[in-house]
Amino acid sequence: MQHSTAPDPTARISIRGLSKFYKDYLALDRIDLDIRKGEKVVVLGPSGSGKSTFIRCLNRIEPHDSGVLMIDGRVIDDRTDLAALRGAVGMVFQNYNLFPHLSVLDNCTLAPRLVRGIAKADAEATARRYLSQVGIAEQAGKFPIQLSGGQQQRVAIARALCMSPEIILFDEPTAALDPESISGIVGIMRDLAEQGITTICVTHEMGFARHIADRIVFMDRGAVLEIAPPEEFFTAPRTDRAQAFLAQMIRH
Amino acid sequence: MPSRSLPASDRILRHILALALFALAIAVPGARAQAEDLPGFVHDGQLTLCTNPTLPPMTFVDGSDTDALAGMDIDLARRLAAYWHVTLVPQTMDFEGLFPSLSAQRCGMVISGVLRQAGRLRNYDAVPYLDSGVVVVARVGTPKLREMADLSGQTVAVQSGTSYAAQIERENDRLRAAGRPPILLQQYPTEDQVVQQVLIGRVHAFVSQDVELYYRQKQLGGKVTIILAPDYPDFHQFAVYIRKNAHDDALLQKAIDTLTRQGEIAAMAKQWGISGDHQSVFTEGKAPSRFDVATFFGALFSAAFLKGAALTLVIAVLSHLTAIVISIPMAMKLNGRDSIIKRLLGFYVAIFRGAPTLLQLLFIWNALPQFFPIFREGWFTPFLATWLSLSINESAYQVEINRAALRAVDPGQVLAADALGMTTAQTYRHVIFPQALRIALPPTINEFISLLKTTSLASVISLQELLAVTQIQVARTFQFTEYYAAALVYYLAMVFFFLFLQKRIERRFVWADRNKASADAA
Repeated sequence: MQHSTAPDPTARISIRGLSKFYKDYLALDRIDLDIRKGEKVVVLGPSGSGKSTFIRCLNRIEPHDSGVLMIDGRVIDDRTDLAALRGAVGMVFQNYNLFPHLSVLDNCTLAPRLVRGIAKADAEATARRYLSQVGIAEQAGKFPIQLSGGQQQRVAIARALCMSPEIILFDEPTAALDPESISGIVGIMRDLAEQGITTICVTHEMGFARHIADRIVFMDRGAVLEIAPPEEFFTAPRTDRAQAFLAQMIRH
Repeated sequence: MPSRSLPASDRILRHILALALFALAIAVPGARAQAEDLPGFVHDGQLTLCTNPTLPPMTFVDGSDTDALAGMDIDLARRLAAYWHVTLVPQTMDFEGLFPSLSAQRCGMVISGVLRQAGRLRNYDAVPYLDSGVVVVARVGTPKLREMADLSGQTVAVQSGTSYAAQIERENDRLRAAGRPPILLQQYPTEDQVVQQVLIGRVHAFVSQDVELYYRQKQLGGKVTIILAPDYPDFHQFAVYIRKNAHDDALLQKAIDTLTRQGEIAAMAKQWGISGDHQSVFTEGKAPSRFDVATFFGALFSAAFLKGAALTLVIAVLSHLTAIVISIPMAMKLNGRDSIIKRLLGFYVAIFRGAPTLLQLLFIWNALPQFFPIFREGWFTPFLATWLSLSINESAYQVEINRAALRAVDPGQVLAADALGMTTAQTYRHVIFPQALRIALPPTINEFISLLKTTSLASVISLQELLAVTQIQVARTFQFTEYYAAALVYYLAMVFFFLFLQKRIERRFVWADRNKASADAA
């Protein structure tokens, strides 16, 4: 692989030797990865393999300890303007993490207004546009508690989109959902990917991984073990651990 | 800079000053002599007095205005102030607070129907001004006694902080030595409560001074009688108490002697009805009815009660707001990483939750001035002292509510706010606090209601809050039920108002309740 080289400033995201410790525990072990503009990457791996920690490093919710992280040619470190970074890199969580005390519409407008200083009317117009894109325009006035899990996740996606990110990180977005809702969310993610937003998704949703992803990144014990296109990864995994993982997944 | 020569302008100023002083000395030689003769406790043109105005006719509040002090003691204090050509500044407080306040230099003297007694002379100087005698009083029809020992096995009430308790203990030592049951003692913070115990039949008798009985004739007419007038040498004279100082003692003695010689003290005593026969039984007077509706409504709408209630409300709201403001950063720190500050805060919370609120009030009012003289100055009013101690005390409780409420907010909320690029301040303001408020509100209102009633403790440091006003009015009129009922109405009205407010605020938290939120949206 290419990875003893310097980071690639033309990539949307370029990662070299990225490591992260929790005290003595090595959570991320010298990760190297380049992601092109508009690429759809799915991160797979057993639980505890460091997938979530890895994508949380990408918007610096978890600062990395060593290595280089570059987004659009700019090095991300402790001097980075976090508001700008997080505006460019949106995130959707497994448990939605909507603000329960705000209406669906206010969930979507809070950060654009506070962080970007966008006027209320403009922020609301943008929010309504994204809410109808994720198919819940009619829920704008409700509180999160009144929505189903699938609806809440749609709001969370709309909320992330309202910051007009160039990259969107999904942290197991369908793990807490019932099968019917899953297909709805997967549909939305597919639409986003087709619009050209760079998508990095931690998921166990094999349909998305197999049919939408450009590449699969397989992680175990904090290290990236394989990077391959889906058909190659799913049909001919190179490492024993990837084989064992896939055998596990198929049995389920 | 003593060696440096003064600039010319300063030198001129000094000459002018010296001339002016010289002129003043020539013009008013009397004033100069007066200044030299002033006792040390008189300064800044003020004579400060500590008194507990619940002992008519010596010191009490005559009328519904709690600031209008009256009685023999007050007249004497005014006369002394006039004698020294200064203004009298009286300060009222609980009886137990009198001597600590004198020690803390909150006042120059105590005149409050206090007897001259050997025990007190160890720490204070006392100049007697009026003869008196001890009386044991019981309900009318109670047989007369021959001696104190006849009270063996009976229950007797006295005002706490007075020396009657010690005297009864001495009687009890003799009784025990003789193998007889002791006198059972009950102590109450105000004299009117002591008398009330006899009226309602809880105790056999109360011990007090004859002068008070003279005054109470009208109020207690036909209900009580003196059953014994024991001759205790330590209970013969009322005295003015000052801090120990031989020079001041001599000057005070000279002043009292002068007033006595001029017949002024006798005139005061006569004016307040302090004279006559110790053994007299009260006969005349109308017994008050069980519940006088007019008195109740009179009290309810009196300026004194309104003022007292307003003070209670203001001090409670102010103290709690202060407590909330200081306890929020405290809670954030206590929920955070381990540090020196966190440990100190933990210590602070433990101390102020551990110590009784009453003790904290007394400490701040009476002990603090011993360490920091600035706290005995005029600006440090009972209001400020109460505000300070209740704020500190309440913050120690409120911080636990805040901590629990902040912890109850899902950490995923902070994650989401971070991921949206919000700053820490924005996250607290728009995400964490609104959610924590819902959790903190009910226990906070609960704390506030508790605090509203805790303010009644501030009467010990002379804050004229609702309960202090009530007690002073009861001492004046002896109409317990009516005044207690009026106070109750005020307390309940305030509490109910805040419960109503809580309900109104909780309506804004529909977002937390699926059913209500649905109904709201529909």
